[in-house]
Order: sequence, then C-alpha cells, then structure tokens
Amino acid sequence: MKPYEWMVSYTPQTEWIERRGILMWLAEVFGGLGAGLYLVALYFNSLWGMLIGWLIVIVLKGGFHLAYLGKPLRFWRIILKPQTSWMARGFIFMLLFIGFGAIQLIFSYWLPGTTGEVVFMVIAGIMAFLVAIYTGFVMNYVNGIQLWNSALLPLLFILTGVLDGLALVMAVGMLGGNFDIVAAEAASRVLLITAAALIAIYLWSATYMGPAGRQSVMKLIRGSVAPILWIGVVFFGIILPVVISLSTYFAGEVSASLLIIAIISEMIGAFSLKYAILKAGTYGPLIPVSAY
Amino acid sequence: MARWGMVIDLKRCIGCYGCMLACKQEHFLPPGIFWGRLVIGETGKYPAVTKQMYPVLCNHCEEAACVKVCPTGATTRREDGIVIIDYDKCVGCRYCVIACPYQQRTFYADGSKEYFPGQGFTELETIGRELYPLQPGTVVKCNFCAERIDEGLKEGLEPGIDREATPACVNACPAKARTFGDLDDPNSEVSKLIRDRKGYQLHPEFGTEPSVYYIIR
Repeated sequence: MKPYEWMVSYTPQTEWIERRGILMWLAEVFGGLGAGLYLVALYFNSLWGMLIGWLIVIVLKGGFHLAYLGKPLRFWRIILKPQTSWMARGFIFMLLFIGFGAIQLIFSYWLPGTTGEVVFMVIAGIMAFLVAIYTGFVMNYVNGIQLWNSALLPLLFILTGVLDGLALVMAVGMLGGNFDIVAAEAASRVLLITAAALIAIYLWSATYMGPAGRQSVMKLIRGSVAPILWIGVVFFGIILPVVISLSTYFAGEVSASLLIIAIISEMIGAFSLKYAILKAGTYGPLIPVSAY
Repeated sequence: MARWGMVIDLKRCIGCYGCMLACKQEHFLPPGIFWGRLVIGETGKYPAVTKQMYPVLCNHCEEAACVKVCPTGATTRREDGIVIIDYDKCVGCRYCVIACPYQQRTFYADGSKEYFPGQGFTELETIGRELYPLQPGTVVKCNFCAERIDEGLKEGLEPGIDREATPACVNACPAKARTFGDLDDPNSEVSKLIRDRKGYQLHPEFGTEPSVYYIIR
C-alpha cells in the first residue's frame, strides 16, 4: 500500500498479523487448540489430553501473548479493566483456567472419582470454554473491521476449537492414551460438516456487513488471501479430513496412517483459518468518497 | 467544565501539510509517527472529478472505542473530553490500535530510529527525548496538545483564542481552517460553526461521537 492510499483505499489491518503481529496469530491459534483439546479431553476423560491442552494454553498461548506485548513486564495490568475490555476478561479467564485446571489435574491424578474432581472439572471446563471463545469477542467488538464485526465469529472460534481439540485428542489416543478414537472420529465427522457450513455462512453474512466486509470476503475468496482460504482452510481443514473420515466410516475401521494425515491436515486448517481471518480484516476508507 | 473539540473547514484547507508538521515538531515525534495526517482522495469521473482533502487526527470521541477496549486503563477520557494515554500503564497490546475505526493510533515500536540513520540523534531529537519522552513499546496518539491547554488554563488563557493555550495544528494553519474551542458552550466559535455551517462528524455510524467536526458549506 502506498502512503497516499492509507485509509483512502480499503486498508488492511496489520498490527495483529504483520511483523510481530504473527505472534498474536500464533497466540490465538494455540489458545483455540489448547482450550479445545482440554474440553474434548474432559469429555472423553483423557488425562493426558487435559494436561497437554492445559500446557498449550499456558506455555504457547501465554508465551506468544507475552512475547507480542510492547511492555511484557507490565502484563499483570491486563486484568485491570474487565468492565469493558474483552482482552482483560480473556486474560482473567486464562488465569482462572490455569488455576482451576491445575487443581482439576491434581484431583484427577491423585483423587479420581471424588466430588472435588467433578467440581473442578466443571469449573475448569467452563473456563476452557471461555478461553476458546473470548478471542472471537475480542475481534467482533471491533466495528471498524466489518469482517470481524459478526456475532458468528465467537461461535466459529469455539466450534473450530473443539474440532481441532478432537483431532489433537485422537493424536493423544494414538500415542497410547486410553481413549476411544472411534468415537472421537465420529464426532469429528459431524463437526467438520458443521464447521464448513458455519464458515460459509460467516463469509456470506460478512458481505452484508458493509462495503469493507464485502471487500474482505473478496480478498478471501479471490484476492491475496484466497490461497490460504482455499488450500489451507477448505482443502486441508475440511475436504481432506472429511474424505478420510468417510473412507474410515465406509471401511469400518480406523487406519492409523490416514488418521495421522487427517490430524495434520486439520492442524493446517486451524492455523490457516485464523491467519485468513486476521489477514483479511480490512478498514473502510476514512474519507467519504462516493465509492464508499 | 469545557468539552474541547475542533472544527475543520474543508473549504479553507489548502492541503499544505502544515498541521501535520507542526504537530510533529511540537511533540518531537520520531520517524514514521504522525499524530495528524492529511488524507487526499478523489471522487467522480473525468471531467467531473472532485478532490477531497481531509486533515484527520484523533477524534477524541465521547464513546471512544479505544477507551473501552484498553485492558489496563492506560487510555482514558478526561472530563474535558480529551482522550489521553498514560504511557506508564500501557502494555503495548495494540487492541486500541485495532479498535479505533479511524486508525488514528500508532504503536511506537523502535525508540532507536533516527531521522538520519547512522548519524546519531540530532540535537532536536535529543532535546525532544528529554522534553517529550515517549515510551517505545507503547501506543501513542494526538492529545489535542493537552499540555498546552493545561498550562494555558493555569495562566488564565483561553484555549482556541490564546495561541499559547491552543493546539499547535490550529496555530500553524495558514488558511485558518481549524478552530478549537468548547463544544458545550453554544456561543463558542466551534459551536457556531457547527450549527451555522452544518458541521458533521466522520463516520457517525461507528457510534463513537467524535469531537472533531468538518464543514464543507
């Protein structure tokens, strides 16, 4: 973009995807993956899955968020304004998830089957849900970027978080965790179709948000971000896993090699989806030119 | 308590960039950082083409998105309507930069950038770092020259009338396109301009209630 085009043409957001903004993208991806894995592992009672999900949130999501901050040593200040700031709320959710998750893991390992374990499973599960969904609210609050200003975005993030969690929990199961891979695979099949539909509805409704929304969708469908959408999100994230899942369904058995391909494919899809949405976020022109 | 605002007369603006440079000089802004800009666009088809020149700056909105999204409370709105940043509280998350629909905030990333790379800081840059220290790793933006306003008020001066208490960009404009004053005073120059010449805000659909108005009639 030339300097004279700034906010005269449709101007892409750059702070959360260019240069150090890549760290923000990674933090969002790992937040969804970690929280999603934790939620799914909670459902299937996979202790390893819960532990890995919890660690992904602390180390990767937390680490990338800290690395992105301009003044990381002041990170503790982020909890100070939950009244209006979704970022403050999200940080609080993360802290609560880390705390309650740790207690739940302790209970599950040393005191399984107790009331305490159940209580902390519920609380930690709620916190994990909030960690997975809050980035959607952080972004949809931004009314300057019409692509993001959609109520569907938090739904999309939680759904894809759970979907990616299913993929990761299958990986944990394959590595020896005591876990019903077939059930996870079946759930994945349903969620993949649902995610595909939700992505399509989200993009379609974004075109109604305004001219900048339409511009963002055009960028995604046939512009500079199109390869990421079609190859990363649609092919690797949806089509390939669905094909593998259907072949597994009709073959009647879960092939380990195909499952590995499906898991890697879904991870590519997870990274691609958030990258595409962040990259395609566009501000409308500032001055009221007639085209706008 | 006054509510400070600005009116920019687009029929007077000649696009000289004087306001941008005055602001840069007043605040000793580092390379690449502008608190005010001149945005120029064209509309229409030849031969009926119109050039639109809009000096833009932080709108010091009443319902500022940046104030709401700031997780640390570093960005606040004063009682007099000026939206300011406490650099000691800012963590540099840049949520405010993303949230501002007018894109009038900038992340100050690199404090070592020189105007003449490889030649060290000039005397002006060195003085600027002492007089007006900005913190690298925080977000910066126009503050309506709050320090000039505050000092001026202490000395009994009137912002918008007395130059010493008026924002630098208003003083610098050779065409007197900018007017500064109290939006809550119906008899102030800014209020009269908005009323009589149908002042409008940029993109009111964002719901931010800017304190900067434009007039074109």
